Amino acid sequence: MSVFEPVLEPVLEPGLVHTPVTPFTRDNRIDYDTFAKLIEFHIRSGADCLALPMHIGESVSLTDEEQRALLAFAIKQVNGRKPVIAHASDAGSAIAAERARHAQGIGVAAIVATTPYYWTPPPHMIIEHFAAIGSVVSIPFFVYNSPEEMPGSKVTAELCLKLIDRLPNFAGVVDLSLDWQFMIELLTYAKRKRPGFALIAGTEHMVSAAATGATGLFSPLAGVAPKLVRKLYDSCRKDQLVEARGAQEAVAALRQQLKSSGNLKAAQRMMGRDCGVPRPPLQAPDAEAARALAATLEPMLRDESRGF
Amino acid sequence: MKVVAGRVPVTIHVSALAVEDTMALGQHAQKIGADGILAITPYFWTPTREAIHDYFIRLCTSIELPVLSYNSPSYLAGVEITGDLMSRLIERLPNFVGVKEASFNSEKFLEISRVALSLRPNFALLTGVEFLLPSVPLGGVGSYSAAGSVCPNLCAALFEACMAGEWPRARDLQYKMTRLWHLFKDQYPSSLKGGMVIMGRPVGPTRPPLPTATKERQAFIEKELADMGVLESEPHGW
Repeated sequence: MSVFEPVLEPVLEPGLVHTPVTPFTRDNRIDYDTFAKLIEFHIRSGADCLALPMHIGESVSLTDEEQRALLAFAIKQVNGRKPVIAHASDAGSAIAAERARHAQGIGVAAIVATTPYYWTPPPHMIIEHFAAIGSVVSIPFFVYNSPEEMPGSKVTAELCLKLIDRLPNFAGVVDLSLDWQFMIELLTYAKRKRPGFALIAGTEHMVSAAATGATGLFSPLAGVAPKLVRKLYDSCRKDQLVEARGAQEAVAALRQQLKSSGNLKAAQRMMGRDCGVPRPPLQAPDAEAARALAATLEPMLRDESRGF
Repeated sequence: MKVVAGRVPVTIHVSALAVEDTMALGQHAQKIGADGILAITPYFWTPTREAIHDYFIRLCTSIELPVLSYNSPSYLAGVEITGDLMSRLIERLPNFVGVKEASFNSEKFLEISRVALSLRPNFALLTGVEFLLPSVPLGGVGSYSAAGSVCPNLCAALFEACMAGEWPRARDLQYKMTRLWHLFKDQYPSSLKGGMVIMGRPVGPTRPPLPTATKERQAFIEKELADMGVLESEPHGW
């Protein structure tokens, strides 16, 4: 049974959400001193909100205990200056639900969760999984739709509409499918059921998403190019969609280079914000690949600030 | 061509199961005075990228008409004209002038748009009317619109709102179009033909293996069209 009384349609407009990496020491422990500096950097560099630990923050390589400790540290460091969204995904519904309940207990503003890892469940099982997580909290709950990372479990508009009926706090979808059909269909029907329902772009492909009505953006690249990402986001939110195209092309080119955590962390180091290397099984680029990456990125990142 | 008699440009869809038929249809289109042709990547064989490349070279060098390619990876099991392939075709073929882009994906569309427009600034990026809105800010200039046979006013209003950059209005119209598309895509194009019957423009059954909209289905379509206000806002009859 829930310890929280669900309230109708809790509201959070996430805006531009930075999704920090998780810094590690040389011996692979979470580097909290660097994490504190990184959080300050994100807040100072245009984040409306933080979400962590997302996949780019190697959530799946953190133990349950580490995820809770990381989140508690972030809440304390942020100290109410920006809302913090907690990522609570797992293969088992109860594990994810417990993590979500803990996150609300320590003061996060919302929960985001993806489809169960590994099981490739059919739609009715996905609905039960999300309902199990969303129903133990009263804060807004967002579904993270990432078909490329989670092949075999498909989040459809129809599934989301059923989930709206189940969960009063189901507030929106963070979309990485980039699929126009899904985005348009979702907003057409979800907004009729729940007017405040939000579509949030899950990567920096914001222009088409914003055209269809997306209002938020989860940005892993904000740790590398916060100015460029902010420019793209602001243009989109002002409905200057044609004008946003230049920034969109620049961000897409950057994203092409930095899709993996290994490359993103290498780019962070290049920008003077060393957060270590990823935990195994992920690998950092070797010295030669890192040099080539730096040479490619250098002209793309001239306008961005260095250091923490 | 005779009925249109030059009042609007006509592009002819020449995609056929057999590539030899496609070639013949392309020749035919040129002979009867079409303004251009539209050709999809070859059906059935899941051709490699090189095979797709060679196919368009062969087709486009066999005629002088402008050719619009049709990229539909979601219908054709990943058979796809990527940005890289698009650029090779544009560089080689002066009459390779546009694409009906049906990946419906932000990243793919942006990449094709970026590559194509840098090589050929007037390259035409078209999509389906049901996805016009997200395409236009990234360089889309129009759409094919089967829905125009049922709701031409809505199609025109959506197109105008997008081209004028009136995004809030375009959003409302696009959502309305989605509801209609949802209705038609079930057993497409049977339901579209069913909708045409309701609008006083019957064009007969759908050929097998597709089903033809039943009386019950037509009654459902009529109710939905009435709910959406389409019966009042769109023209009835020929």
